[in-house]
Amino acid sequence: MLHTESIAGETLQMHPWGALYWEARNMLLLSDVHLGKVTHFRKFGAAVPLQALKRNFSRLQDLVETFRPQQICFLGDLFHSHMNREWAYFEAWAQACPSRLVLIEGNHDIISPLRYDALDIELVPELNAGPFTLTHHPDLREDGFNICGHIHPAVRLGGMGRQRLRLPCFFLKERQLILPAFGAFTGTHALNPQPGDRIFTLADGRVVPLDRTST
Amino acid sequence: MATGSHSRHPITQQAEDWFHRQGWSPFPFQRHTWEAFLDGKHGLLNAPTGSGKTYALWFPILLEYLRAHPEFRSQPKKGLKAIWITPLRALSQEIRQSAERITKDLDIPFEVGIRTGDTGTAERARQRKTMPDLLITTPESLHLLLATKGYARIFRDCHAVVVDEWHELLGTKRGVQMELGLSRLKTLCPALRIWGISATIGNLQQAREVLLGPGSEALSNSVLIRAHVPKRITVRSLLPERMDTFPWRGHLGLHMMESLVPIILESKTTLIFTNTRGQCEIWFQQFLARHPELAGEIAMHHGSIDKETRLWVEQAIRNESLKAVFCTSSLDLGVDFAPVETVIQIGGPKGVARFLQRAGRSGHRPGRESVIYFLPTHAIELVEAAALQQAVKLQAVEDRTPYLNSYDVLVQYLTTLAISDGFRPEEIYREVSQTFCYQALSRDQWEWLLNFLVLGSQSLQSYDEYRKVEVDEDGIFRVTNRGVAMRHRFQIGTIVGDAQLTVKYQQGGYIGTIEEYFISKLQPGDVFTFAGRNLEFIRIRDMVALVRKSAKKAGKTPSWMGGRLTLSSEMSRILREELYSAAMPEEQQAEEIRALRPLFDRQRLESIVPGPSQLLLETFQTQEGYHHIFYPFEGRFVHEAMASLLSYRVSLLTPITFSLAYNDYGFELLSDQELDVQMVLDNELFSPKFLLDDLQKSLNATEMARRKFRDIAVISGLVFTGYPNKGVKMKHLQSSSQLLFEVFRDYEPNNLLFRQAFTETFEHQLEEGRLRLALERIGRQEIVWKNCEKPTPFSFPIITDRLREKLSSEKLADRIKRMTRILTRGAR
Repeated sequence: MLHTESIAGETLQMHPWGALYWEARNMLLLSDVHLGKVTHFRKFGAAVPLQALKRNFSRLQDLVETFRPQQICFLGDLFHSHMNREWAYFEAWAQACPSRLVLIEGNHDIISPLRYDALDIELVPELNAGPFTLTHHPDLREDGFNICGHIHPAVRLGGMGRQRLRLPCFFLKERQLILPAFGAFTGTHALNPQPGDRIFTLADGRVVPLDRTST
Repeated sequence: MATGSHSRHPITQQAEDWFHRQGWSPFPFQRHTWEAFLDGKHGLLNAPTGSGKTYALWFPILLEYLRAHPEFRSQPKKGLKAIWITPLRALSQEIRQSAERITKDLDIPFEVGIRTGDTGTAERARQRKTMPDLLITTPESLHLLLATKGYARIFRDCHAVVVDEWHELLGTKRGVQMELGLSRLKTLCPALRIWGISATIGNLQQAREVLLGPGSEALSNSVLIRAHVPKRITVRSLLPERMDTFPWRGHLGLHMMESLVPIILESKTTLIFTNTRGQCEIWFQQFLARHPELAGEIAMHHGSIDKETRLWVEQAIRNESLKAVFCTSSLDLGVDFAPVETVIQIGGPKGVARFLQRAGRSGHRPGRESVIYFLPTHAIELVEAAALQQAVKLQAVEDRTPYLNSYDVLVQYLTTLAISDGFRPEEIYREVSQTFCYQALSRDQWEWLLNFLVLGSQSLQSYDEYRKVEVDEDGIFRVTNRGVAMRHRFQIGTIVGDAQLTVKYQQGGYIGTIEEYFISKLQPGDVFTFAGRNLEFIRIRDMVALVRKSAKKAGKTPSWMGGRLTLSSEMSRILREELYSAAMPEEQQAEEIRALRPLFDRQRLESIVPGPSQLLLETFQTQEGYHHIFYPFEGRFVHEAMASLLSYRVSLLTPITFSLAYNDYGFELLSDQELDVQMVLDNELFSPKFLLDDLQKSLNATEMARRKFRDIAVISGLVFTGYPNKGVKMKHLQSSSQLLFEVFRDYEPNNLLFRQAFTETFEHQLEEGRLRLALERIGRQEIVWKNCEKPTPFSFPIITDRLREKLSSEKLADRIKRMTRILTRGAR
């Protein structure tokens, strides 16, 4: 179930897996997929279930079929580590993918640019699109609106009866939107919202916005 | 009684003579142990600390060697002859001294060596070349030896292994590690004799079986020797003068401080045991502040204080230069302190065996009475004080339940063997399946584990780069990757705790170690009490917390998470009976129960003090929500399981979210909704039917297994804890074991290590039988439901407990809508 929000004058749709769809440009935004992480762990002797890496690809595939985006923009940390054989899965997916692929370089992206080049994936430090500056690290400038990743944002909630929840979220500030991490096996970082910040939690297949008054 | 002259083994005369030269006479248990050992038997010696247990075993080990090698002085043969395992490396010096005393006096040219985590690399290397004749080591260091190339040669001529303080290892995964180590040594050392030494616990026979292996030849050729050192123990409770100001909960007990003063002044040396290091710190500070005249005569001893200081304190106790020492379990073991006359226990010791052991720290001279004072820290602990008196009389000591099927420890062990000389599965399976822990390990499970090690899964997958253990052309399982081997060596060991940070002055100067959990809550500039000093926190660099001295008042004291022990079923029964006595005439009550009268009166205002035929249920509302509290008085483990079971069963009837808390008296289901109590009563939710099934399902609904999995992931090497002093911080490890838990749940729920987290949660600590009996007892009781206006005295310690479990059957989106606030960092 999508949640639609008007941001910087544009209509954006939030997907419960953490993807952001910009219909006017037919563009899908994803951040922090961290492909290769499962294999990286396995290579170092930690037997993380192999099936876990397949979720990333099956979700990518589902999103492509749902939105048929003209362009997919990865907001950094697409590949977690040095080269490993998970790249082969990615290669296969990328070659079959009808959308144009763009990667904004993140701190984890250390794979040779030549390999992206060979897959016809455009590699850029940042991207300007309409009112938005798309970056990996949060980068608030004098003007304009920044969409970024890197943080893996989450929020912690408390309620009556000593209830506690911690949920990944889209984190919206006045001139910035931080996307949740898309990848399986990635983890989150809890943020302290300031007055005016808005939060959209990912909760079991739904995007649940938090009440403005609760922040 | 066997004496030197009647001995079957004339060589024991040397030991007899040695004792006489010291002006001593051997105890019967020492002679029995000499005889049994020289008869070729294995065994378990049940002897308390300070009873001369080291002489009971060092002597026959040495005499046996002399007997078998009469030419040893003219033709000495290098190499390892015997191993002494101690759970605490701090004890190794004492053990070495007692061994050296004998070797020196009997003119045996043996080198006695120590190999623990404290042993430097140069010494290790030297030992690898020439092993000392007698080696004192820890279970972890023994496994590190098994990780050394050509280890079989090291152990070839070893004829004895002693596992000291076996009761401390049994019931932990270090105990399992020991079982595995012994299973290997049995094959490597054909002449090996295995002996354990244990304090008194409830299951001594089982302790012997675990040590030697069920159904093993060693077990059938073994003895259990009890020291029977007569000891009169007197327990005295310190009663508060006024009950109306005595707190209902709280764990420090400082309001009773002055009652310690006369006790301390009257005795030569007093040990004051607290349950946590934090409590120890506060007591020491405050006591010193109020009694500056005792400065220099009192000290503090706990595991986070640096080694030099600890050794100094221990020496000062021996020299009788201290009046009192505030300490924790760090002084439970080893070290014999003759001058200690009096022992004080602050707060419930949560274990009769531990209490007896602490009591035994005083009056060490044989035949003398041991006196232990019990200082309750809150009202309900007075009931515990009364129960302890009974339990000591009945010697109602707890069992230490050994682990079963700890796949994590086995995975670690197999990797250890793979990095040294490699292993043949057939041979190792035979050894492993003869241990207590793995006696039920099936072929399938074994194959599963081998696949896990070699493939990282159960079948070969394309594109996979998993790399750990490989099978060479001879069918030997080996680790060839140097990185894998190196990381594994750092990780050998099974104790997983919160990460420790070193505390240092900014100018340099080591103060001690502290849990990362505590430091992470401090802001630069915060002042805290540590090692008896007020320190200002500056910052963390690498794994070091930098501080400077401060004159400011400390705002915070580290709250170390002491291990939470629970009452045995026997102790729970005694506790219940003491509580039921509240309804009896005063002259039939213990003085502690009489002292509690004002509390019982307050409890009866809105509720009752239940009798044997009643199960009390209290409900009331506070700002926190709706409290539902049940009082079965069955001990913490039973309550933990019961709370999980009951909340799960309720959650099937209605979407609801609970926060669960429990202690030795009862448990709480806290919710933001009011529970329909009539529904609970009508639906037989305490029924023992479908018990195991429901309990399993309730585990899936709570987070308990998640926490267990953290340790399992570390022990089995799924998570790397980092290189010493520079690696991954614990926070990092925690989040990755959390992530791992989730991927296993989603993608490999049948993984044995994942399953282990669930079975460990309840099965290890709680025999199912105990829960069933408790439920049956409840079935015969009348449930008395009291809807109260305010929290009652009984409920207070439970509702204020912060260590909680949660269970929910509500949709996440519905729960989010009812949340009232966003939590920010620093807030709890």
